[in-house]
Amino acid sequence: MNRHEKAKNFKQVNHSVTKIDALQLALGKDSYVADFVPNDALIVKMLWSPHAHARIKKLDVSKAEKMPGVKAVLWYGNVPRIAHCTAGQGFPEPSPYDTFMFDKKVRFVGDRVAAVAAETEEQALAALEVIKVEYELLKPVFTLDEAMAPGAPVIHDEAEAHVPIPIPYEPKKNLVAHVACEAGSFEKGLKEADFTFDQTFETPYAQHCPIEPYTSLAQIAPSGRIHITTSTQVPFHCRRIVAKTLDVPVQKIRVVKPRIGGGFGCKQEVLLDDVTAMFALRTGRACLWQFNREETFRTGRTRHPFRIRLKAGVKKDGTITAIDMEAINNTGAYGGHGLTVVSCAGSKVLPLYHCENIKFDGKSYYTNLPVGGAYRGFGATQAFFAMESLMDQMAEAIGMDPMKFRQINHIREGEGSPIFAALGEGREGTPMTVGSNALAECIVQGAEAIGWEKRRDWRGKTGRYRRGIGMACLMQGSSIPDIDMGAASIKINDDGSFNLLVGATDLGTGSDTVLAQIAAEELETATAKMIVYSSDTDLTPFDVGAYASSTTYLSGEAVRKAAADAKRQILATGAEMLGLPVDQVFCEDSAVRSKDDKHKVTYGDIAKYSLYQKNQYQIMGTASHITKKSPPPFAAHYAEIEVDTWTGFIKVLNYVSTIDCGTAVNPALAEGQTEGGTLNGISYALTEEYLFDEKGRMQNASFADYHIYSMRDRPPLKTILVPSYEETGPFGAKSVSEICINGAAPVFANALYNATGARLREFPLTPEKVLKAIQAVEVKK
Amino acid sequence: MTKTTHTVSVTLNGEKKTFGTRPDEKLLALLRREGYRGTKYGCGQGTCGACTVLLDGRATYACLLYAMQAEGREVRTIESAGTFDNPSVFQKELVAAGAVQCGYCIPGMVMSATALMETEKVLEDEIVKEYMDGNLCRCTGYEKIWVALRKTLDRQAAAPAKKPAAKSKSSAKGGKK
Amino acid sequence: MKLSEFIRPASLPEARKALRALGPKGMVLAGGTALHFMPGKTTVTAVDITGLGLSYIKQKGDYFVIGAATPLSDIQRHRGPRWAMHEICRRISTHQIRNVSTIGGNIARVFPWADLPVVLLAMNARMVVYSGKEKDIPADEYFSSQPARLFRGGDLLTAVKIPVLKAHHGFGSVKATRNATAFSLVTIAALLELKNGVIKSARVAAGSGIPFPQRLKPVEDALAGKEASTAVFKEAAAAAGAAARWVGGEGMSADYIRQLAEVSILDALERAAEFARGRAA
Repeated sequence: MNRHEKAKNFKQVNHSVTKIDALQLALGKDSYVADFVPNDALIVKMLWSPHAHARIKKLDVSKAEKMPGVKAVLWYGNVPRIAHCTAGQGFPEPSPYDTFMFDKKVRFVGDRVAAVAAETEEQALAALEVIKVEYELLKPVFTLDEAMAPGAPVIHDEAEAHVPIPIPYEPKKNLVAHVACEAGSFEKGLKEADFTFDQTFETPYAQHCPIEPYTSLAQIAPSGRIHITTSTQVPFHCRRIVAKTLDVPVQKIRVVKPRIGGGFGCKQEVLLDDVTAMFALRTGRACLWQFNREETFRTGRTRHPFRIRLKAGVKKDGTITAIDMEAINNTGAYGGHGLTVVSCAGSKVLPLYHCENIKFDGKSYYTNLPVGGAYRGFGATQAFFAMESLMDQMAEAIGMDPMKFRQINHIREGEGSPIFAALGEGREGTPMTVGSNALAECIVQGAEAIGWEKRRDWRGKTGRYRRGIGMACLMQGSSIPDIDMGAASIKINDDGSFNLLVGATDLGTGSDTVLAQIAAEELETATAKMIVYSSDTDLTPFDVGAYASSTTYLSGEAVRKAAADAKRQILATGAEMLGLPVDQVFCEDSAVRSKDDKHKVTYGDIAKYSLYQKNQYQIMGTASHITKKSPPPFAAHYAEIEVDTWTGFIKVLNYVSTIDCGTAVNPALAEGQTEGGTLNGISYALTEEYLFDEKGRMQNASFADYHIYSMRDRPPLKTILVPSYEETGPFGAKSVSEICINGAAPVFANALYNATGARLREFPLTPEKVLKAIQAVEVKK
Repeated sequence: MTKTTHTVSVTLNGEKKTFGTRPDEKLLALLRREGYRGTKYGCGQGTCGACTVLLDGRATYACLLYAMQAEGREVRTIESAGTFDNPSVFQKELVAAGAVQCGYCIPGMVMSATALMETEKVLEDEIVKEYMDGNLCRCTGYEKIWVALRKTLDRQAAAPAKKPAAKSKSSAKGGKK
Repeated sequence: MKLSEFIRPASLPEARKALRALGPKGMVLAGGTALHFMPGKTTVTAVDITGLGLSYIKQKGDYFVIGAATPLSDIQRHRGPRWAMHEICRRISTHQIRNVSTIGGNIARVFPWADLPVVLLAMNARMVVYSGKEKDIPADEYFSSQPARLFRGGDLLTAVKIPVLKAHHGFGSVKATRNATAFSLVTIAALLELKNGVIKSARVAAGSGIPFPQRLKPVEDALAGKEASTAVFKEAAAAAGAAARWVGGEGMSADYIRQLAEVSILDALERAAEFARGRAA
């Protein structure tokens, strides 16, 4: 049977088991940080910088400190000055330590100036108003060109800024990161080409827009330890980073993540918890800080804007002879994630197509604008816009159908790419050959679903409304091999239920459920027998947290191993109870059975025996896992659009997302991830943008002015799970959550070209840009 | 805690209640303060729908209502929709469809859908989308929420006898008739 | 703006008296959504007018009369002979806002993005203002400048009267937005009177994309007496550029907004003509 047929025989995995917390959330039960706030918690408010680049000459908080209800004020004069990085990454982070809890300099509109904790929100806001600040305005840097120009204003001129690992970092040139590699020779490959290309693409800012804004609650426990309950994707990194910035031992801090209302990467950051923890320490009171929506837009993390220059050569027979990607991202005022995002622009995109001569150069620069962080897709999203737009153009040059062009060139099972070894995240990557790969099938199924055969060239199209069909092929990764680690433990209870303890972080993705399914599958029991507790730095084993599409592939394998460890113990005790050698018994359906199937003891029996009766011990499995490769999920996206050539408005008629995630541990949840990420990609391509004024101030910081889709906007979406089986993943699984956001921008750019002959190399595809491009084509005609 | 200077009397989830408040207090803040925490803060600006409650049977943003606007009126929150033992049909369908991801938008979705089911007889897609257009979700792409909603509505259309009495339009503002 | 007091007058005269006494420290509250966004620190008393029986829609002879405190969703759901108000109302903001925002709130203090002034100008509506007794003000006069000027002394808007469309009259509107519930980039409303395929009279109004809602006289002049055809509509729409001061928005230029307005005018006129000819509204 096909390997992926194996998945059809699983009893828990590959079933749409009910999400464990779904009913609790649908009922509106206390679940999120703000639901657990003591009545007497102090409210924290932050004074944000109104200037993009300035030194603080004078800061006087004395009046604020005396305002009614105010219990503490924090500013650079009364907190430790400890350089750190807010990015939720493994230690030591591949990011500059360029951030201080409070600094004497502000580097973007929305940077921290001073904070107040007061009895009520009103009192906190009133206190902010009487903080006196005198700024010395500095020349700001708002574009990559300005940042790179010789003699440009230096955004990070502080002596302490440094990188904790030996990677390029030149803050005096506003350069945050530089990574480069070459396989073969680009120059040689270019000479072999029949057609050459040199195009530059730009991608914009975006915000994740989780419906729950950033929220952090810190309290002092009776023991004197600091308890932080926070909406985070990275509880363990949070603990470590808060310990560092407060200059207290890690041991003193406990971080707990309850349910959170979405993250998509923006909560892979320690943006609030240092301040709430410091306030809790100073006041002895519970302290709550919740961003409002405007603050989330202005001061929260964002998607890195990119400029990507793609040079390539192709032969008439469709061979891609050379690719050179020069990717530069704008990481904003602080450098966290700058290097890793630009690395992924190369590492998660360039391996997709065969090419013997690949060159990559990635840079990250500071500007005085909102800060780029981790956002689903993580550089691949931006780079696929460039790559997949260029693929269509190369196909056209040689007169080949763009689908066929991709079909003959994409990576196959068993193949590798020099890029895998060359590009890691802050260090060299991990060589890999691709195991599971159902991309070919994704392409075929997606093409059929969209009706690819009815696609016609734009040159025959007339009239006001014109339709076009476009496609894109995608890949991503699953976990960061050799760097990230996840762990789990599982213990049995009297009735054959289990407590599954994982550090892994469910941000609404349903990872608690997916991990429970994996444990149950390994243990030959029902998912309903699992009681999952996750993301508590005191009680659950370590996990890096939810990012890099890791939770299923990395944390899931730790869970499977822990369950296997528990299973060994269950078998041993079951054998003891049955009076049989261990090799004469097996586990099935929550029981240990004799091989002749005549005798059995249930897990409940085994638990009571082992907990209370004889040779007593706690059956408990524990395991850790690091991955050795990052097997890509694959996808092919298609869309049909209708363009109003008189106004430039685009209507999406149909969108098809196919996805090969290996085994879908929970098909309904895998579809849900794909549907959500796809729609996010669609609005990113068409309607989301950051509009700045000439002083670097974001103008549209509300859902009224920053457009994400409502139920009334959503186009017809079809999601097709195409199974494959990844031998190195738990029960054949890879990952699913990021790849789906990468498709829409290039798909629409290609569909727009197919409809009108207008090729846009930036987005969002605003009506004005589309109309201008169409009018230019008409003129040429 | 802010001192309250006024009171407001509402019928909240079927029970007559009187709360201390202030003229500038929003209904969202009062509800959460009084323990009705299923209604969420998402934006505070009347754009995301996480705070949707029913005011005299109409879906409204609790963050854009002053608590005192609810004087003498009927307010229903997510707490009235269902329980663990007896979730509403829509809540059951949401769970069954895999439509609850982070869940933050779901109470608001349930309240808007409740208003739809109690008010409209004809439940065509266009009307449904209009009723739901003020509830944002970033996790699901709305797909499975739509599937669950459509199932719930089709089921209701097939068995109309159990629907609670629809509110008459002109009574919604409590004016003199 | 901060609410420090909340009063509920029991009658229209009482409401007006309270507003006159409060002066700039009093604000009318119907839906109240706009109050949350008013800047400044002045403490204000909310004068809640939702108990005054001003929420209704009825037909009185040649007019539909809509009470000033009628929520937009009621207007959206109403149906009547040749009723056309639902077309725009279903496009205003979101469901929850439409349930609470009122027609009065949309036009008593006009913001550049308001849609109802555009529609009411095109429809030649009349606004009823209470100053001790009620008085009709035609739309052209009412919207000649910021209507808030009429209410500074404590007078109140109590109703909006919309002429029932006669036969051979047609109404069409277009609201161009980035997505379904967004603020308008440009809103156009057109009322045409046709006789034997010829345009006897035309009222064309625009809002959003310009600083204040207004009629587009050059566009109207280019329609009068001409055949109701696409070619005529196109030529009339081209007069839009000179008819108002178009302004850029959402990162897009004034020139683009003007182009968008021209196409929107064309589309609105086509809709109005279809309506007038008795086909789909």
